[in-house]
Amino acid sequence: MSEGFPMIRPCTRVYLLLMVLTFFTWLVGVSGMSGFGISMLVLGLSLLKGQLIGDYYMGLKRVTSFWRWVIVIWLLLPGSLIGLAFYLTYS
Amino acid sequence: MSETDSQALQDPHARPPGDLAIWIFICAELLVFAVFFASYAFTRAAHVELFNEWQLTLNRDYALINTLALITSSYFVVRAIAAVREGRQQPALRWLLGALAMGALFLIVKSMEYAEHYSHGINLRSNLFFMFYFSLTFFHFMHVLMGMVILGVNAAILRRGGYTAENHRGMETGGSYWHMVDMVWLILFPLVYVMR
Repeated sequence: MSEGFPMIRPCTRVYLLLMVLTFFTWLVGVSGMSGFGISMLVLGLSLLKGQLIGDYYMGLKRVTSFWRWVIVIWLLLPGSLIGLAFYLTYS
Repeated sequence: MSETDSQALQDPHARPPGDLAIWIFICAELLVFAVFFASYAFTRAAHVELFNEWQLTLNRDYALINTLALITSSYFVVRAIAAVREGRQQPALRWLLGALAMGALFLIVKSMEYAEHYSHGINLRSNLFFMFYFSLTFFHFMHVLMGMVILGVNAAILRRGGYTAENHRGMETGGSYWHMVDMVWLILFPLVYVMR
Protein backbone atom coordinates (compact mmCIF):
# COMPACT_ATOMS: atom_id res chain seq x y z
CA MET A 1 0.00 0.00 0.00
CA SER A 2 2.77 2.41 0.89
CA GLU A 3 4.90 1.70 -2.19
CA GLY A 4 3.29 4.55 -4.10
CA PHE A 5 4.38 7.10 -1.49
CA PRO A 6 8.01 8.17 -1.47
CA MET A 7 9.43 7.96 2.05
CA ILE A 8 10.46 11.26 3.54
CA ARG A 9 13.85 11.00 5.24
CA PRO A 10 13.94 11.92 8.94
CA CYS A 11 16.45 14.68 8.15
CA THR A 12 13.95 16.21 5.70
CA ARG A 13 11.21 16.19 8.35
CA VAL A 14 13.62 17.85 10.80
CA TYR A 15 14.56 20.42 8.13
CA LEU A 16 10.92 21.37 7.59
CA LEU A 17 10.36 21.64 11.36
CA LEU A 18 13.44 23.87 11.71
CA MET A 19 12.10 26.13 8.94
CA VAL A 20 8.68 26.44 10.61
CA LEU A 21 10.20 27.22 14.03
CA THR A 22 12.49 29.80 12.44
CA PHE A 23 9.55 31.56 10.78
CA PHE A 24 7.77 31.61 14.15
CA THR A 25 10.81 33.22 15.81
CA TRP A 26 11.01 35.81 13.04
CA LEU A 27 7.28 36.55 13.37
CA VAL A 28 7.73 37.20 17.09
CA GLY A 29 10.54 39.60 16.22
CA VAL A 30 8.73 41.61 13.55
CA SER A 31 5.47 41.72 15.53
CA GLY A 32 7.31 43.51 18.34
CA MET A 33 6.18 41.09 21.03
CA SER A 34 8.24 41.39 24.19
CA GLY A 35 8.29 40.22 27.79
CA PHE A 36 9.69 37.39 29.87
CA GLY A 37 7.18 34.76 28.76
CA ILE A 38 7.56 35.25 25.02
CA SER A 39 11.34 35.57 25.35
CA MET A 40 11.51 32.25 27.19
CA LEU A 41 9.27 30.62 24.58
CA VAL A 42 11.56 31.81 21.78
CA LEU A 43 14.64 30.72 23.75
CA GLY A 44 13.10 27.30 24.45
CA LEU A 45 12.29 26.76 20.78
CA SER A 46 15.85 27.73 19.86
CA LEU A 47 17.27 25.21 22.32
CA LEU A 48 14.97 22.59 20.80
CA LYS A 49 16.27 23.50 17.34
CA GLY A 50 19.82 23.10 18.61
CA GLN A 51 19.00 19.66 20.00
CA LEU A 52 17.44 18.63 16.68
CA ILE A 53 20.64 19.68 14.88
CA GLY A 54 22.70 17.66 17.36
CA ASP A 55 20.51 14.56 17.23
CA TYR A 56 19.63 14.36 13.55
CA TYR A 57 22.26 16.40 11.64
CA MET A 58 25.34 15.72 13.76
CA GLY A 59 24.10 12.15 14.17
CA LEU A 60 24.44 12.11 17.97
CA LYS A 61 21.19 10.23 18.45
CA ARG A 62 22.95 7.07 17.28
CA VAL A 63 26.21 7.33 19.22
CA THR A 64 27.37 6.93 22.80
CA SER A 65 25.29 9.10 25.10
CA PHE A 66 28.34 11.06 26.34
CA TRP A 67 28.48 13.16 23.17
CA ARG A 68 24.76 13.75 23.19
CA TRP A 69 25.05 15.03 26.75
CA VAL A 70 27.82 17.40 25.71
CA ILE A 71 25.38 19.12 23.37
CA VAL A 72 22.50 18.97 25.88
CA ILE A 73 24.67 20.55 28.57
CA TRP A 74 25.96 23.18 26.14
CA LEU A 75 22.41 24.13 25.21
CA LEU A 76 21.25 24.18 28.85
CA LEU A 77 24.24 26.14 30.16
CA PRO A 78 23.89 29.34 28.11
CA GLY A 79 20.12 28.74 27.95
CA SER A 80 19.86 28.84 31.77
CA LEU A 81 22.15 31.85 32.07
CA ILE A 82 20.22 33.76 29.40
CA GLY A 83 16.97 32.81 31.14
CA LEU A 84 18.34 34.00 34.48
CA ALA A 85 19.51 37.30 32.97
CA PHE A 86 16.08 37.92 31.44
CA TYR A 87 14.40 36.94 34.73
CA LEU A 88 16.52 39.53 36.55
CA THR A 89 15.47 42.09 33.92
CA TYR A 90 11.76 41.55 34.52
CA SER A 91 11.82 40.82 38.26
CA MET B 1 25.31 12.20 10.10
CA SER B 2 23.15 10.76 7.38
CA GLU B 3 19.56 9.84 7.92
CA THR B 4 18.98 6.58 6.15
CA ASP B 5 16.40 4.73 8.16
CA SER B 6 18.48 1.57 8.29
CA GLN B 7 21.07 3.50 10.31
CA ALA B 8 18.60 5.07 12.70
CA LEU B 9 19.25 2.64 15.55
CA GLN B 10 21.45 3.78 18.40
CA ASP B 11 24.81 2.16 18.93
CA PRO B 12 25.76 3.00 22.53
CA HIS B 13 29.45 2.40 21.79
CA ALA B 14 29.66 4.38 18.56
CA ARG B 15 31.80 7.50 18.34
CA PRO B 16 30.39 10.68 16.85
CA PRO B 17 30.92 11.17 13.09
CA GLY B 18 34.28 12.53 11.99
CA ASP B 19 37.63 12.79 13.76
CA LEU B 20 37.69 12.90 17.55
CA ALA B 21 39.91 16.01 17.31
CA ILE B 22 37.16 18.04 15.64
CA TRP B 23 34.81 17.19 18.52
CA ILE B 24 37.30 18.47 21.07
CA PHE B 25 37.63 21.61 18.94
CA ILE B 26 33.83 21.89 18.71
CA CYS B 27 33.53 21.67 22.53
CA ALA B 28 36.08 24.47 22.92
CA GLU B 29 34.27 26.64 20.38
CA LEU B 30 30.89 26.03 22.00
CA LEU B 31 32.30 27.04 25.38
CA VAL B 32 33.56 30.35 23.96
CA PHE B 33 30.18 31.11 22.40
CA ALA B 34 28.42 30.18 25.66
CA VAL B 35 30.52 32.77 27.52
CA PHE B 36 29.73 35.33 24.80
CA PHE B 37 25.98 34.65 25.04
CA ALA B 38 25.94 34.86 28.83
CA SER B 39 27.98 38.08 28.74
CA TYR B 40 25.52 39.61 26.28
CA ALA B 41 22.49 38.57 28.39
CA PHE B 42 23.85 39.88 31.71
CA THR B 43 25.14 43.12 30.18
CA ARG B 44 21.72 43.59 28.61
CA ALA B 45 20.11 43.06 32.03
CA ALA B 46 22.09 46.05 33.30
CA HIS B 47 21.27 48.23 30.24
CA VAL B 48 17.82 47.06 29.15
CA GLU B 49 16.60 50.32 27.66
CA LEU B 50 19.73 50.84 25.58
CA PHE B 51 19.70 47.27 24.26
CA ASN B 52 15.96 47.34 23.48
CA GLU B 53 16.23 50.70 21.71
CA TRP B 54 19.10 49.71 19.43
CA GLN B 55 17.89 46.16 18.85
CA LEU B 56 14.96 47.67 16.98
CA THR B 57 17.36 49.12 14.39
CA LEU B 58 18.51 45.64 13.33
CA ASN B 59 17.13 44.16 10.12
CA ARG B 60 15.23 40.99 11.10
CA ASP B 61 14.52 40.11 7.48
CA TYR B 62 18.24 39.75 6.83
CA ALA B 63 18.48 37.63 9.98
CA LEU B 64 15.64 35.40 8.75
CA ILE B 65 17.30 34.91 5.35
CA ASN B 66 20.58 34.07 7.04
CA THR B 67 18.98 31.60 9.44
CA LEU B 68 17.19 29.83 6.60
CA ALA B 69 20.43 29.81 4.57
CA LEU B 70 22.38 28.12 7.38
CA ILE B 71 19.64 25.59 8.15
CA THR B 72 19.39 24.76 4.45
CA SER B 73 23.15 24.44 4.08
CA SER B 74 23.27 22.08 7.08
CA TYR B 75 20.52 20.00 5.48
CA PHE B 76 22.47 19.89 2.21
CA VAL B 77 25.57 18.66 4.08
CA VAL B 78 23.52 15.87 5.68
CA ARG B 79 22.27 14.85 2.22
CA ALA B 80 25.80 15.02 0.78
CA ILE B 81 27.14 12.64 3.43
CA ALA B 82 24.12 10.35 3.03
CA ALA B 83 24.79 10.23 -0.73
CA VAL B 84 28.49 9.42 -0.37
CA ARG B 85 27.63 6.70 2.15
CA GLU B 86 25.42 5.21 -0.51
CA GLY B 87 28.32 5.39 -2.99
CA ARG B 88 26.74 8.18 -5.06
CA GLN B 89 29.61 10.67 -5.43
CA GLN B 90 28.09 12.95 -8.08
CA PRO B 91 24.88 13.72 -6.14
CA ALA B 92 27.03 14.13 -3.03
CA LEU B 93 29.13 16.76 -4.80
CA ARG B 94 26.00 18.62 -5.92
CA TRP B 95 24.63 18.68 -2.35
CA LEU B 96 27.96 19.91 -1.05
CA LEU B 97 28.16 22.69 -3.65
CA GLY B 98 24.61 23.65 -2.69
CA ALA B 99 25.72 23.90 0.95
CA LEU B 100 28.62 26.13 -0.09
CA ALA B 101 26.24 28.35 -2.07
CA MET B 102 24.03 28.75 1.02
CA GLY B 103 27.12 29.62 3.08
CA ALA B 104 28.07 32.23 0.48
CA LEU B 105 24.53 33.66 0.65
CA PHE B 106 24.93 34.03 4.42
CA LEU B 107 28.21 35.91 4.02
CA ILE B 108 26.76 38.22 1.33
CA VAL B 109 23.65 39.08 3.35
CA LYS B 110 25.67 39.61 6.53
CA SER B 111 28.10 41.86 4.64
CA MET B 112 25.16 43.89 3.30
CA GLU B 113 23.90 44.27 6.86
CA TYR B 114 27.31 45.45 8.07
CA ALA B 115 27.54 47.89 5.13
CA GLU B 116 24.16 49.40 6.03
CA HIS B 117 25.25 49.89 9.63
CA TYR B 118 28.49 51.56 8.58
CA SER B 119 26.66 53.81 6.09
CA HIS B 120 24.58 55.06 9.05
CA GLY B 121 27.73 55.73 11.04
CA ILE B 122 27.20 52.74 13.32
CA ASN B 123 30.26 50.73 14.30
CA LEU B 124 31.79 48.71 17.11
CA ARG B 125 32.32 51.84 19.24
CA SER B 126 28.83 53.33 18.79
CA ASN B 127 27.47 51.91 22.04
CA LEU B 128 27.49 48.82 24.27
CA PHE B 129 24.79 47.05 22.26
CA PHE B 130 26.66 47.40 18.99
CA MET B 131 29.93 46.42 20.64
CA PHE B 132 28.30 43.07 21.46
CA TYR B 133 26.41 42.89 18.16
CA PHE B 134 29.51 43.35 16.00
CA SER B 135 31.75 41.20 18.20
CA LEU B 136 29.33 38.28 18.37
CA THR B 137 28.18 38.30 14.77
CA PHE B 138 31.64 38.92 13.29
CA PHE B 139 33.13 36.13 15.42
CA HIS B 140 30.41 33.86 14.03
CA PHE B 141 30.97 35.27 10.51
CA MET B 142 34.60 34.13 10.69
CA HIS B 143 33.44 30.66 11.72
CA VAL B 144 31.16 30.50 8.67
CA LEU B 145 34.14 31.51 6.51
CA MET B 146 36.29 28.82 8.11
CA GLY B 147 33.53 26.25 7.66
CA MET B 148 33.25 27.13 3.98
CA VAL B 149 36.99 26.59 3.52
CA ILE B 150 36.65 23.14 5.12
CA LEU B 151 33.59 22.25 2.99
CA GLY B 152 35.45 23.55 -0.09
CA VAL B 153 38.35 21.20 0.64
CA ASN B 154 35.82 18.37 1.16
CA ALA B 155 34.24 19.18 -2.23
CA ALA B 156 37.63 19.21 -3.99
CA ILE B 157 38.57 15.81 -2.51
CA LEU B 158 35.13 14.42 -3.37
CA ARG B 159 35.46 15.68 -6.97
CA ARG B 160 38.74 13.77 -7.31
CA GLY B 161 37.04 10.62 -6.06
CA GLY B 162 38.78 10.77 -2.69
CA TYR B 163 35.67 9.86 -0.70
CA THR B 164 33.89 6.54 -1.04
CA ALA B 165 31.09 4.70 0.71
CA GLU B 166 33.73 3.09 2.94
CA ASN B 167 36.02 6.07 3.46
CA HIS B 168 34.41 9.48 4.02
CA ARG B 169 35.54 10.46 7.50
CA GLY B 170 36.89 13.78 6.22
CA MET B 171 33.44 14.75 5.01
CA GLU B 172 31.93 13.80 8.37
CA THR B 173 34.55 15.92 10.11
CA GLY B 174 33.77 18.95 7.95
CA GLY B 175 30.05 18.34 8.34
CA SER B 176 30.24 18.20 12.14
CA TYR B 177 32.03 21.56 12.23
CA TRP B 178 29.48 23.09 9.86
CA HIS B 179 26.56 21.88 11.99
CA MET B 180 28.20 23.45 15.05
CA VAL B 181 28.34 26.80 13.21
CA ASP B 182 24.64 26.41 12.36
CA MET B 183 23.72 25.46 15.95
CA VAL B 184 25.45 28.54 17.38
CA TRP B 185 23.55 30.83 14.99
CA LEU B 186 20.25 29.27 16.06
CA ILE B 187 20.86 30.70 19.56
CA LEU B 188 22.47 33.94 18.38
CA PHE B 189 19.57 34.88 16.09
CA PRO B 190 16.81 35.02 18.74
CA LEU B 191 19.11 36.38 21.44
CA VAL B 192 20.37 39.38 19.47
CA TYR B 193 17.53 40.03 17.01
CA VAL B 194 14.30 38.93 18.71
CA MET B 195 14.30 38.53 22.51
CA ARG B 196 13.44 41.75 24.33
